[in-house]
Amino acid sequence: MIEKHSSHFGRELRVAWAIAVKDMRTYYTKPPSLMFGILFPFSLFFSFSIGTKAPLATQIPILISQTLFFASSSIGPVVIPTERANQTFDRFLTSPVSLLSILIGKTLAGIIYGAGISVIPVLIGIAFFGSQITHLGILLACFLLSSLAFSALGIMFASIPGQTPGQVMMPLNFVRIPLLFISGVYTPIRELPALMQVVSMLSPLTHTVELARYATGGETFFGPILNIAILTIYAATFLLMGIRFHIMNQRKE
Amino acid sequence: MPENAIEVSDLTKYYGELCAVSHINFDVRKGEVFGFLGPNGAGKTTTIRMLTGISLPAEGTATIMGYDIQRHPVTAKEQMGIVPDVSNVYNELSAWDNLIFTGKLYDVPKTNRENRAEELLKMFGLYERRKEKVQGFSRGMKRRVCIAMALMNRSDILFLDEPTSGLDVQSVLIIRDLIRKLNQQGLTIFLTTHNIDEASQMCDRVAIINHGKIVAIDTPERLKRTLNSRQSVEIAFDAPPVDVLKELAKLPEVSEVVKKGDKFQLFTDDPSKVLASLWEYSLSNNLKLETVNTLGPSLEDVFVNLTGIKPATAGERPEKTGENKAKGMARRRGSND
Repeated sequence: MIEKHSSHFGRELRVAWAIAVKDMRTYYTKPPSLMFGILFPFSLFFSFSIGTKAPLATQIPILISQTLFFASSSIGPVVIPTERANQTFDRFLTSPVSLLSILIGKTLAGIIYGAGISVIPVLIGIAFFGSQITHLGILLACFLLSSLAFSALGIMFASIPGQTPGQVMMPLNFVRIPLLFISGVYTPIRELPALMQVVSMLSPLTHTVELARYATGGETFFGPILNIAILTIYAATFLLMGIRFHIMNQRKE
Repeated sequence: MPENAIEVSDLTKYYGELCAVSHINFDVRKGEVFGFLGPNGAGKTTTIRMLTGISLPAEGTATIMGYDIQRHPVTAKEQMGIVPDVSNVYNELSAWDNLIFTGKLYDVPKTNRENRAEELLKMFGLYERRKEKVQGFSRGMKRRVCIAMALMNRSDILFLDEPTSGLDVQSVLIIRDLIRKLNQQGLTIFLTTHNIDEASQMCDRVAIINHGKIVAIDTPERLKRTLNSRQSVEIAFDAPPVDVLKELAKLPEVSEVVKKGDKFQLFTDDPSKVLASLWEYSLSNNLKLETVNTLGPSLEDVFVNLTGIKPATAGERPEKTGENKAKGMARRRGSND
């Protein structure tokens, strides 16, 4: 047998990274990734934000949040059904690596895509609309936790048996679009009725919007600690549920 | 070290209510080419998917070089290379990148994987086109890339699911030659195929699966000997008359006649008597015999006998001629490809 590296943990990390890099090279420029990851959040932003009286600098956190949300959660639903159709997903299942590492690799591809694209609105805000980063650490936490949580959300939905991205995107959008309206994106949370404020707290997107606002000098209704805690819980939950659902799929295969 | 490369015990898989594979048991010895035959839907691919860890069995165990595929999946998967029935290559990547990525999946160190990729691409005649994206390759070339990917980790066992299905003759010959060479180098081969001639030519032993159950395991020659009564005489006429099939079926000792291209195969328990009556028939009808061969039972006969496969038109045959059977078999083969 050919010589191999030795450390088990290191090996799992290397394979996860190799999967992420392959996904980046192969799927980042695919039309569904561009449409759902870039076109969709930017179009939604311009549809709702252009014409409002609020200064554009205060709208930048919304664009950051939407981009993080849509771009990160779009990679899994593009990659996994396509690989299922081409039977290339079977390559991972037959390779000597755990399902956890395979899904971490896929999640990493979503994280890098979402976080990478979301840097654009930050730069646009700073360059053209006078946005200021007042809490860089919070902004980094916002990027990291949100892209992780939403990428894992996409991976979880990609466990839906389907062989085209559309078969996963459709149910995912049934969740993503309504979240826009309960997450303080278009209506500030403090203006919502008390019941809706509770509902809003349950949405992961709320905490991305809050952190993005706070990082750029705005205010947060729930506070950055709670925002970070809830996003962390969602990230772990989506990742674990995604693994669970993919194992269930393997049993049905 | 384990004596067998693969050991399967009581392996079972359900899809809802349907039992796709039912309590199968078999061993594959180290260094042998083991054929796994069966009609469509018999459970071949389900079995291979359980053996390679894609699918989880409902019951039973499978060990690969002594490692249980469920309890030690990572170590078990390190022992094998897999060529599925579809060439699952990354079309967007070049041939080189496909091999390098596979090396990364198996955690082969950089220098080793680059050397191995170069060696394999040269072996498969693809080195000159290594930088081209695989999406521009022919089906045969993609198949070769797929097999090369399965060999990247220098595994002990190679699973091949229908490796030559749908390929041109040249690619089929290249792949068969390669399988023989790899086996001579000590690689254990687990081969599933529809092509019974291929199995007969290449396999040390074959298992025949039908309706999710193993119905026979033995060497091709021993399996053929179980059907000694199924002998036949194969003939070809220079210019056969239109009703020759019916006339041949009337000859004494002939149990069935099958038209195979320009030849006729007459099944009988006594080939010598059939040869005598054929000689008389050709003289009396002024026919010139171009070819006469006596044939023993083939692996296909064993397969048909064990799986009970009948052509769709068999029940419609008014006489003991096999014209309809030949047509039915041709149709079935067409649908399989």
